[in-house]
Amino acid sequence: MQRARGAAAARFALKSGRTRIADLSQSGSAKAMLPSVYGTMPHLVFVNTAGGITGGDRFDWTVEAGDGTAITATTQTAERLYRARQADLPGEVHTTLRVGTGARLDWVPQETILFEHSALSRRMTAHMAEDATLTVLEPIVIGRRAMGEHVARAAFRDTWHIHRGGRLVYADALRLPPEMRALDLPGALDGSRAFASLVHIAPDAETRVEGMRGLLDAPGVIGGVSGWNGMMAFRLVGETAQALRAALIPLLTHLRGEALPRVWHM
Amino acid sequence: MAMAAPIPMPTDPALTLHSWLSPAFPTGAFSWSHGLETLIAEGTITNADGLEQWLAGLLRYGSARSDAILLARTMEGEDVADLAAALAPSRERYTETMEQGAAFARTINATQPFTISEAAYPVAVGRAAMAAGMAPAMVLPLYLQAVIANLIHAGIRLIPLGQTDGQRILTALQPLCSDIAAEAETAPLDEIGTAMVLTDIASARHEALYSRIFRS
Repeated sequence: MQRARGAAAARFALKSGRTRIADLSQSGSAKAMLPSVYGTMPHLVFVNTAGGITGGDRFDWTVEAGDGTAITATTQTAERLYRARQADLPGEVHTTLRVGTGARLDWVPQETILFEHSALSRRMTAHMAEDATLTVLEPIVIGRRAMGEHVARAAFRDTWHIHRGGRLVYADALRLPPEMRALDLPGALDGSRAFASLVHIAPDAETRVEGMRGLLDAPGVIGGVSGWNGMMAFRLVGETAQALRAALIPLLTHLRGEALPRVWHM
Repeated sequence: MAMAAPIPMPTDPALTLHSWLSPAFPTGAFSWSHGLETLIAEGTITNADGLEQWLAGLLRYGSARSDAILLARTMEGEDVADLAAALAPSRERYTETMEQGAAFARTINATQPFTISEAAYPVAVGRAAMAAGMAPAMVLPLYLQAVIANLIHAGIRLIPLGQTDGQRILTALQPLCSDIAAEAETAPLDEIGTAMVLTDIASARHEALYSRIFRS
């Protein structure tokens, strides 16, 4: 079986005081779109034209926000992780983010949805200037209960490394157990199957923590936010994928100071 | 008859290790709950069974396993200090590992014939164990048992439980400490990871908890 390959990269630079696309490349099953927006920040939308990811697939997404630019990047739809054959290696997604001096990059992809026997190893590596602003989100849904999806087994890893001024400042490594029922342990997911990690790194990040706590008191969601070392990290667990999304939209709107890209509402 | 000069006796490394990982070693371990105080306050953990399940989760799928891997790689000379610090999921968990590591290093430097630099707790323990020439197969299970025993003690105070309940939990988890230690001994850094999402959330929510005995 043919394995899907895709790579898309976009570089933005400041031209006459405005953020403009400077380079755009796409190959295989990866596309990048720049829908016209009326806000202050251009939106970049990545599309997986293969319609999902299975074992052996490989996707590379790269966004570079040059000095002084501001970009919001997202994905066109939820990313679906389909059943991988046992002999397959896990699918791989590598996301690379670069944020220049005084620049801002919001990487706010939509949900990743795991199906039975899916296998993915994802890496996000970010390099940001000391004074840059970076927001990174990953919502994960292990089978949509409302759609009757049940996932007993899957292999999922999501590793984030964020370097600020050349130094590793934030690392997150999600490693789900092969048997999803282990997530029912107290302190794991306690029966829920939808959760999100969100980190915001900015010179003023810590001062914003107290103003964020109230936004985590959403129905069907339990969340936490903490600030240290110029960073603010959130985790949220939703009883359902819908409850999680309903909490994330106002939280991200408040955090970003503007609405999420339109694809989030389609 | 002339008295022979006393020959310094080498210390059994097992004794040294036990002292480093004992509750009497001044790292302040007793003041950190790793989010357990929130999990108990919010009703997630209410009894000995829940505490044991949570600790098993930390060992199999959580920070205890990740820390054992960081310790093991440190003992092979890999520099994982930045990674260990960066992996903290919240301010209190960051302070928990950094302050214990710093206190551990200070005491080591004041009592041992070698010195180590300060780092997150598992890295500091790994540096000292490497400097002392200890075997990872000896260090890793005892390290995990010490971490678990400290959290059991927090649970005994908070739930509350009896000392015998605490020992029952520790006895039940000892085989798992050995298993995870064996896994960590050879696991590459890529194997680090957690599924204990609500434990991370609990440590963040601890900052806003109304009444707190512990610092995390």
